Amino acid sequence: MFASVSSTALVGVDTRPVQVEVHAGQSTKSSFSIVGLPDTAVREARERVLSALASSGFKVPEGRITVNLSPADLPKAGSAYDLPIALATLVATGQVGAAATRVVALGELALNGAVRSVRGGLGAAMVARRMSLPCILAPDAAGEAGRVPDSDVRGAADLVEAVGVARGTCPGTVLEPSPVTRPDRIADLADVRGQVVARRALEVAAAGGHHLLMSGPPGAGKTMLAAALPSVLPPLTEEEALEVALVWGAAGLARAGSHIPPFRSPHHTATVAAMVGGGSGLPSPGEVSTAHRGVLFIDELGEVPSRLLNALRQPIEDGHITIARRGHSVRFPSAFQLVAATNPCPCGFENDRLVGCRCTETAKERYRSRFSGPFLDRFDMRVRVERLDLDAMTGPPGESSAEVKERVLAARTIQVERGRLNRLLARRDLDRQSYTAGATRLLASAVDRFQLTARGWDRVRRVARTVSDLAGRDDIDQDAVAEALAYRKTL
Amino acid sequence: MTGSDRLRLASLGLHPDRVRKLLVDWGNARAVLRAVERGQVEVSAAVRDRLDVDAAAAARAAGASVLLREELPDALASLPDAPDLLYLRGVLSSLPGVAIVGSRRATSYGLRLARLFGRAVAEAGWPVVSGLARGIDGAAHIGCLDGGGVGLAVLGCGVDVAYPPEHRDLATRLLDGGGAVLSEYAPGARPESWRFPPRNRIISGLSSVVVVVEASVKGGALITAGRALEQGRLVLAVPGDVNRDTSRGCNLLIRDGAHPVLDVDDLLTSLTFVLGLPPHPAGAGDGDDPLLQLVAGGGMTLEALAIALGCSASETIRRVSILEATGAVSTEGGVVSAR
Repeated sequence: MFASVSSTALVGVDTRPVQVEVHAGQSTKSSFSIVGLPDTAVREARERVLSALASSGFKVPEGRITVNLSPADLPKAGSAYDLPIALATLVATGQVGAAATRVVALGELALNGAVRSVRGGLGAAMVARRMSLPCILAPDAAGEAGRVPDSDVRGAADLVEAVGVARGTCPGTVLEPSPVTRPDRIADLADVRGQVVARRALEVAAAGGHHLLMSGPPGAGKTMLAAALPSVLPPLTEEEALEVALVWGAAGLARAGSHIPPFRSPHHTATVAAMVGGGSGLPSPGEVSTAHRGVLFIDELGEVPSRLLNALRQPIEDGHITIARRGHSVRFPSAFQLVAATNPCPCGFENDRLVGCRCTETAKERYRSRFSGPFLDRFDMRVRVERLDLDAMTGPPGESSAEVKERVLAARTIQVERGRLNRLLARRDLDRQSYTAGATRLLASAVDRFQLTARGWDRVRRVARTVSDLAGRDDIDQDAVAEALAYRKTL
Repeated sequence: MTGSDRLRLASLGLHPDRVRKLLVDWGNARAVLRAVERGQVEVSAAVRDRLDVDAAAAARAAGASVLLREELPDALASLPDAPDLLYLRGVLSSLPGVAIVGSRRATSYGLRLARLFGRAVAEAGWPVVSGLARGIDGAAHIGCLDGGGVGLAVLGCGVDVAYPPEHRDLATRLLDGGGAVLSEYAPGARPESWRFPPRNRIISGLSSVVVVVEASVKGGALITAGRALEQGRLVLAVPGDVNRDTSRGCNLLIRDGAHPVLDVDDLLTSLTFVLGLPPHPAGAGDGDDPLLQLVAGGGMTLEALAIALGCSASETIRRVSILEATGAVSTEGGVVSAR
């Protein structure tokens, strides 16, 4: 007998439908083989499925069982097909009625028959919605995937319950996602004392989505400022939140329907694969993709090896990263806002008011050359973060994130009406803005002073556009250009 | 006493090209003078007569000082055909100038624009250079005075000769305004027509930008523009009616690549590209800016400045940035200090 149950495969962040076909043939010799580009984990499904069937009280099939995962040219990985293989086997061997195949199922089976969650539940729920079928997942995965609007997601704690759900005789179990998977509490700007200049730069960066580089001595508060950025960014829309959750899902991370833009801060010792994605087997999205629609924070930029910085260039420029694999390639989104922090020199105290710098000129040169030139040019804005004196530390707290966010939102609304985020404005968009005579003149004078390249000139105009948006001005005036130029200074 | 020899040579009233050639042939001014005295160089009787004139006394009598080539601004002195010396009344500004030149037979359109441009350049703080001629030159000088600026007039006659006569007052007013009247011709030299074309290389030589307001195809203004291009100066031209004679020269320049000037703002923007930000941007008080006073006592961070000034971070950032653009302050490693 033959039976087919739908399931899904992850290709990058896309989820493709997969048919799990099982044929039970007559044979004196029992066999169980899986075909259709399975990896090792899929091939091992045989042992898990047979044990789970036995421990759940079903009959272990005799004769020749062939499992085909179609389309055959799509690489399939992991233990996600245990559940659909078990369901199709039960139907093919006549233990369960054919109605039970009208589902999309995804889940790993424990040897005792319990269903375990796997990557890609959210995508499976979306595929199931397209096919107008119910989707069966592990109970905790069902909790998260249930956020897909208009979906029919059911949770099944074990194989017996899964069969019940598939036949429509049992409602299933749905578990709310466990609290450990919630994003950490995010920092608030009210916690940052003093730092009026850096706070202003952060506000402008937030309003226009500009890449920001902060430089200053250790302990000045660079990390805290960066961590507060998501708190002043506009919340993700329903659609964006789902998109982010899909990427996180592909990375095996849960993101419990949060509308706060993600904040990722990989350590400077991270591998290239961890940073931009890849890894063995099924390619996983890296930090640049889990930071999609959020903030990627790189601390100690001066310590980051250049191969890592080079790997970051494509995702920064293109907003996505393509990872090539034998026979196919996958594409992960990476439209993030880059925030980086660095000490001005290896010891960190160059130009400090109190502590003398102990670095030699050669050491400083070598340190700066790490992130100089093309990479430094990726930042629309650069700002010095000074160490606080006692007055500022004991002074009143600054504005809260909520107050700053209000201004950021107003500036973002203007940008939505204009059509795109200021960071993404193309040269022709910038040419089309109206500039006051004073603004044009100040821009012209900067060409020589900053040795501005055409790209640099565009970056200044983008930031000036944002400063004007924050001020609610239609045209770009001299003040806006002056402020934008100040963020252009080399550190 | 090479200085006095060079002055004597200049006072002979030879064509500048001839002076240059003689200096090359004979090595120096003294040798040239000796050759003239001995009849080894043929000159007219009028020139020979001037050998006996006390050149220094004549200059003094005309109220003129003498600037030798090596004392001239680099931009002019470094030209291959730079004058060996200049007679000067008034003070020569060390700032690069903006030449505004054009036809003597100008239309009201050209005159109005020349005056407006002269005024705008003066208000921005750059010297206005022109030739004191009728028409566009005169209007540019008047505009310069309107704007309270420094005007430089380069003449095709002696600095004590009032030519054209109706601009006698204008020359005086330029001098009163801190400007200068210059010429490579000795005091008393008549405004003969051959003197004017060589004069134009000095106008463009003293300027970083040359603006041609109105010019016919065969006018002196196009000569000035041509010399300016040879000297690597930026040439701007005001477009005009294609049928009007006084605009054809300008339109031709634009066709050949000169940047068209459409209005005052456009002009100032083009100037900024070459000259940087104006020395006196409108609205910037010089010594009384409290920010300048704060950083005069030593470097301060932006953070400290914002607190000391009691203004917002963005306001402080902008003020420092504009002062930096004009060169009043500099920022190094986050510390703002006076220049």
